[in-house]
Amino acid sequence: MAEAKAEKKKGIKMPYEKRKAMYGYGFIALWMVGTLFFFLIPLVKSLWYSFNEVSIGTGKMLTKFVGLEKYDYVLNTDPNYTTYLKDMLLETLWKTPLVLIFSLFIAVILNQKFRGRTLSRAIFFLPVIIATGPVYKIINGDMSSTGNTGAAQFSTMFSTDLVGELLQFLGIYGLSDKMSTMISTVADNIFGIVWASGIQILLFLGALQNIPPSAKEAAQMEGATAWEYFWKITLPYVSPFILANLIFTVIDSFTSPMNTVMGRILTMKEEWKFGEASAMAWIYFAIVLAAVGLVTAIVNKFIYYEVE
Amino acid sequence: MTDTTGAVVKSESEIGGGLTPKEAKKRRMEQMTAEERGYLRRKALMEAVWPFFRFVILFGLGFVILYPLIYMVSCTFRERSDMTDPTVMWIPRHYTLKVLKETISAMDFWNTLKTTLLLNIGCSFVQVLSCAVTGYGFARFKFKGKGLLFGIVIMMILVPTQVIALPLYAQFRFFGIRGLFSINLIDTMWTMYLPAITGNGIRSGLMILIFRQFFRGLPKELEDAAYIDGCGPFMTFIRVMIPNAGSAFLTVFLFSVVWYWNDYYVSSTFFTNTQTVAKMLQNLDTQLKQRLFNSATIEISPREQIVWKEAGCLLSITPILALYVCLQKYFTEGIARSGITGI
Repeated sequence: MAEAKAEKKKGIKMPYEKRKAMYGYGFIALWMVGTLFFFLIPLVKSLWYSFNEVSIGTGKMLTKFVGLEKYDYVLNTDPNYTTYLKDMLLETLWKTPLVLIFSLFIAVILNQKFRGRTLSRAIFFLPVIIATGPVYKIINGDMSSTGNTGAAQFSTMFSTDLVGELLQFLGIYGLSDKMSTMISTVADNIFGIVWASGIQILLFLGALQNIPPSAKEAAQMEGATAWEYFWKITLPYVSPFILANLIFTVIDSFTSPMNTVMGRILTMKEEWKFGEASAMAWIYFAIVLAAVGLVTAIVNKFIYYEVE
Repeated sequence: MTDTTGAVVKSESEIGGGLTPKEAKKRRMEQMTAEERGYLRRKALMEAVWPFFRFVILFGLGFVILYPLIYMVSCTFRERSDMTDPTVMWIPRHYTLKVLKETISAMDFWNTLKTTLLLNIGCSFVQVLSCAVTGYGFARFKFKGKGLLFGIVIMMILVPTQVIALPLYAQFRFFGIRGLFSINLIDTMWTMYLPAITGNGIRSGLMILIFRQFFRGLPKELEDAAYIDGCGPFMTFIRVMIPNAGSAFLTVFLFSVVWYWNDYYVSSTFFTNTQTVAKMLQNLDTQLKQRLFNSATIEISPREQIVWKEAGCLLSITPILALYVCLQKYFTEGIARSGITGI
């Protein structure tokens, strides 16, 4: 920034393009400095820590290179990590598509004209402002530190018991255990999915509003049914957002207060086992990144970009 | 819908017929093929039934979202004995403010709120500014390495904070120039402010992306006019672009406030004694145990403890909920209009 200004004052003739480039650097200079210190260096260090035995010394972190020992420990010795990781990955795997379908469905509904639309939108975006914090944890009935039965009772009081009562009311008794567990899982997950789709609905809604009216008119002229309209007009137009939402959903699951893998990492850190914690974080991150990359590569083939 | 589309298509042949609309419609129906009539009938049926289904769906799911909030309010104002009373479901039998008061004292709510607001508003403000400047740089200038640098922005969105939190902690613990001096920044607000000022705070990658998309969407003529009038790029940004980006700024600012408000991971990593509302809520269990449940005179069952937890939840969402209710338009419409839609 200063550089560019000084040169201008001295009257050194600089080609317009080059001068503009200097201004470009000027605009992002502050961010570049910050990113170096608060993102890139920590990122590299964290990778480095995962290959080291880390301890706190006076004035700096002490590291001793141990190679892949930490990864070995995390994957083979740590009692909880692999279980948590498997559960978490599985959950992400089946939950993400459901969240996407659900949020698209809701966005299509909220895009229609009806009375009370503003109120409905306000309600459906509520999770955006609440679901990211520890409030969600309490709402979801997961009192991690106490693990008391009361909390569990509270979380299931509504979903499970109500479903059970409804079934009894309808005269359905003596369902097999498996069946009733299945029903309660579904009921529990509706809660989770609804609460995880706030931002996704917002993005899809934005995309739906950007569908040109001409496309809609043309479809109407040709006599398209709502069903055909959805598959031939809506879906192609929102397809770029399916990818964006997919990535967002996966990233969001990282920061979810319910993420057990991240919880485990935090515990390791509190025990000052920095090397192990870093290795855990990197394994998780690498797997998810690879999965997202793979899906992106596949999905990209089916996306309709208007411009190109 | 049936009437209007039909009218547009066929009205020309009807002009001057001198028919009432009803007769005109009847005649139009007669002229149609069976297929067309079937289509219109199906459409009419769909339009009659769909609002009902829509209502049921929205009502049911809306209830799933609102239910915890209603429960929160209901719990906060009841006595703990109501929790074990099976007849009490939504409406408390004994109203009381005791629980609320006790939770406020356990959370040290007013002091915590002050700290949180100070952090929240300040960090969000500087972060929005720094991200806007960066986003503008990416949107409107060509320079070497831009692709790579923008790749880093994407990385910032993808990499979870948890991955870099450990080295970042070490960095703040021994902040300074190696060998010369180092100060301990842990538990000071600098740990939040420094990244925010330099556009690296909570979810700043996303914010830079939003601003980039937004500025790319603004007409180039705006700047060209300013350049011709002899305005430099920085002045152009301040005088021309910022006034045009008002709603984008507000939207991003609001989301930033929400994200900072709800963050407990970063704050619990860097703060030991400084308390934020989210962090306090996270540790509410411990606080309550120390202050209330440990007393020998009363026995409180886990189910009854829910009352205090729900009260804590209610307390910590009230400010942000108030903000949401007042500025709802900017939350729900802002994101769609200003930017990210162009991914």
